[in-house]
Amino acid sequence: MTVEDVGEPTVHSCDAVVWIDEVDPQQAIAAGGSKMGRLAELMQSGVQVPQGFAVTVDAYSRHCRESGLDERIDAVIDRLGSSPDDAGVEEASAAIRQMFRETPVGAHLTGRLTEAYEELCLRCVDVNVPVAVRSSATGEDAADASFAGIFDTYLGVSGIERVLDAVRNCWGSLFTARALAYRLRKGISHHAMPIAVGVIELIHARASGVAFSVHPVTGKSDRIVIETSWGWGEAIVQGLVDPDHVEVGKSDGRVLKYDVAHKRIVSAFDFAVGAVTEIDMPAKLADRQVLDPEQVGAIASAVTAIEEHYGHPVDVEWVISRHRRPGDPVCIVQTRPVTVTAAPEEAAPAAYDPVALAQKYLFSGRPIPGR
Amino acid sequence: MANVVPVDEFATGEWYPGYEPEHFSMPYIVDPAGPFKPGDEQGFWFLDFHWSRGLTPLAATLWSGDGYCWGTQHAAEALPLPPGRGVSARFAGTHLYGSALPETDPREIGARANRIATNLPHFLQNYRSIWESGRDELEATWTYFRGVDFAGTPDLTDLLGQARRYHKRAMEIHFGVMYPMLANFLGFYGACADMGIDPNQIGKFLQGEDTKIMETDRGLSDLAQKARVAGLTDVFETHEPHELRAALGRQGGAASLWLTEFDDFLQVYGWRAEATCDVGVPSWIEDNTIPLGLVKTFLKKDDAHDFVAAARNAMAEREEAIEGARSGLTREEQAVFDAGLQSNQEANFPWWQDDHNYYIDLKVMLPLRWGCQELAARVDADHKDDMLYLFWPELVDVATGRTPYQGELKSLVAERRQYFDHWHAKRGEMPKVLGTIPEAVEDPILIEIFGLNPGSIKAVQDPDAAKQTVMKGVAAAKGTARGIARVLQSSDEMHRLEPGSILVCESTSPSWTPVFGKIAGAACDGGGMLSHAAIVGREYGVPTVTALGVATISIADGDEVEVDGTTGTVTILTKASTTTADTAADAPAGVAG
Repeated sequence: MTVEDVGEPTVHSCDAVVWIDEVDPQQAIAAGGSKMGRLAELMQSGVQVPQGFAVTVDAYSRHCRESGLDERIDAVIDRLGSSPDDAGVEEASAAIRQMFRETPVGAHLTGRLTEAYEELCLRCVDVNVPVAVRSSATGEDAADASFAGIFDTYLGVSGIERVLDAVRNCWGSLFTARALAYRLRKGISHHAMPIAVGVIELIHARASGVAFSVHPVTGKSDRIVIETSWGWGEAIVQGLVDPDHVEVGKSDGRVLKYDVAHKRIVSAFDFAVGAVTEIDMPAKLADRQVLDPEQVGAIASAVTAIEEHYGHPVDVEWVISRHRRPGDPVCIVQTRPVTVTAAPEEAAPAAYDPVALAQKYLFSGRPIPGR
Repeated sequence: MANVVPVDEFATGEWYPGYEPEHFSMPYIVDPAGPFKPGDEQGFWFLDFHWSRGLTPLAATLWSGDGYCWGTQHAAEALPLPPGRGVSARFAGTHLYGSALPETDPREIGARANRIATNLPHFLQNYRSIWESGRDELEATWTYFRGVDFAGTPDLTDLLGQARRYHKRAMEIHFGVMYPMLANFLGFYGACADMGIDPNQIGKFLQGEDTKIMETDRGLSDLAQKARVAGLTDVFETHEPHELRAALGRQGGAASLWLTEFDDFLQVYGWRAEATCDVGVPSWIEDNTIPLGLVKTFLKKDDAHDFVAAARNAMAEREEAIEGARSGLTREEQAVFDAGLQSNQEANFPWWQDDHNYYIDLKVMLPLRWGCQELAARVDADHKDDMLYLFWPELVDVATGRTPYQGELKSLVAERRQYFDHWHAKRGEMPKVLGTIPEAVEDPILIEIFGLNPGSIKAVQDPDAAKQTVMKGVAAAKGTARGIARVLQSSDEMHRLEPGSILVCESTSPSWTPVFGKIAGAACDGGGMLSHAAIVGREYGVPTVTALGVATISIADGDEVEVDGTTGTVTILTKASTTTADTAADAPAGVAG
């Protein structure tokens, strides 16, 4: 099964690919980027995650070095100077991303990825198993909310040729205009934050969404907030659909509110294109409640477990598979720390204190909320 | 930029004929009451809807000085309110304008905050005994006055002084209880809103408690039922309220028996004046017109207002609202909500806001009124109310015999009556606000009780208010109603309301409560979520919109209007023909056309 590492005597063959279920969690983030690294951590802690592997940071770096991309990228960036205008950044971004698309993956890495993809097909018992190809950035800033959604993700990629294309596109997304401008502003070199790419079994989503272990706006830590729609989560993450909004009491798991939204757009698998794309929501599904109480409970317990594991508030992307039965865990495809924290005066009061409340609402010179 | 409405027109130094500044000289705490004076435009003054008739010289000075200013400033200093020092009063003609007195010194505010941190919990822990002992003290003084033989008292001076003190003490108790209860309630209200509870639900949590005022309404409804059974419907239908007493008396038999029951009812519930703390208006006992008129309108309605069902509904709605709110809260929030609800059920502000009127607002000026009427009889005045047109020092001089009434004072009284009537007719034209008008006020009492929110403050400054046909206000009591508008200047005109009428007025106060049993909807210039109209509208299930600012200007008597108390919208559907004879005759002064 193993393809011998012939042309690269100085590099360990295992460095190009790491599997979520095999990598040492201590090194997972360094090798597979924050997104893939956290999935490995979650799996270790007993959370249900999809099968898959990461195309490592090393693989990316070696590709850039050996193909001559490094020099060509640096030349484009040097030409930009330290404070380019928006049009200049856009132009440089387009040029660099074009280079990534046009530069073929070397034979060695192609072999490693083909082998890994075939292994994933075997594990999933599928031919040309559809996968999610997700950018997984590194560096301190990668965990920052300012990078959320900035790098590419491709859902429903099937066959090794398309997987390789998607990997190269994810690499190129390290140089989107937004990312480029951000690094220029902060004076960070792109060499300081190389990118990894996750190749993950595509869960056939009945419903998906995001969940927060604290209220994402008020920071109230006594509740879990879930947003959900039918199909895959892209339409929610990209803000294309107004999702159902659910709040769950953290201490007793009670559903506090369930607001059913009119959901116009759905991320669905397009068999003709071979990818997950955004289409109009079928009318009969648009106003239907997505989650039943059992599913809400499963999501809430997964989020609670992840928050406990990390010891800080988290947000997660989750998927409910078509094959999930009641009682099964939900599948977690991504998690991040939540940066919002409750301002002291916004935190839920611990007890009824008429003096403090009068001070807050009557004597503060601010109108009473909701009026 | 704040808009400034000048007060110059009212700050001329002239007031009631014969007025001297010493007529207003009395102790004060922060700011004394008086006619508008130059410089007052620096404050923000709102026309107070409670006294839409205008006030006579005695009523104006004693209510504003001993009640409005003394009571609020005394309580605001005693609790204290950290950023507020109570309310002050000014007069434009006979009409009272109020203004909140802010505390702006940060060090003082801090010190006052420390004091309320001790005093508010103490009040809430002892609410029942504090309120009941205050109420009992006033009831004891009331019982004393009921036992006094005014006619047999040779010198009335002491009695008049005692009666004035009774009113002043009542206002200390009134605001001493009201401020901390309101602080507790609005704190709970804010906490609920912050926990995501729909503010329209919060008012329901404390509804459904019986009050003395509602008890009075039930009594009147029972009397109407008895009149129907006794076959008196015809008498009520064929006579105007002011003719009813005589007509029933002439009829004899069942009508006389009914009148006996009516008088028994009045002995309990009839010691109420038609206005808050206004010595210038009679009680139901003195003038039967209002209660008889109410019985007459109850009889016009074929299906009597079902008080039992309304109370049951209010309670069911309350329980449903509480359950609905609790179910959306986390366990931690439920603990805060439950404790806050319990505290507010024990010291129930919306309940107190209605109930206390029986013991205080509608009654405490009556002994002074009796003394004034007895004095009028002794000095051979033309009218029993003539003494109410004197200022306090003049009244005392007449009582002691230092100054004869006949002569100069008598002719002054005649001129002052004209002055009163002149300004009474101008009520509809009075600016709703004067001075430096902010875009928004921060004082929760002004917002929640007076309805001075940004929308209404904007509305009252609209020069085209008379032309608008769609108005937005506070959605005070849910539901939609259509009907013919009756634009009323004061509760004196309540008899003009038919079953199914839409009541349009500046605002309501407890003397209006009985009409909620027959009207279809209410639209008020003033009043917030906690105003009388809002609270009673919810109790009676009458769609009500408050804080419209200019409803009495935009809506004409006879217009067909729709009141949507769910969205807070009032729409004029059909304008009444301004040439209709009966409309023109019925329309209150300053509003017709």
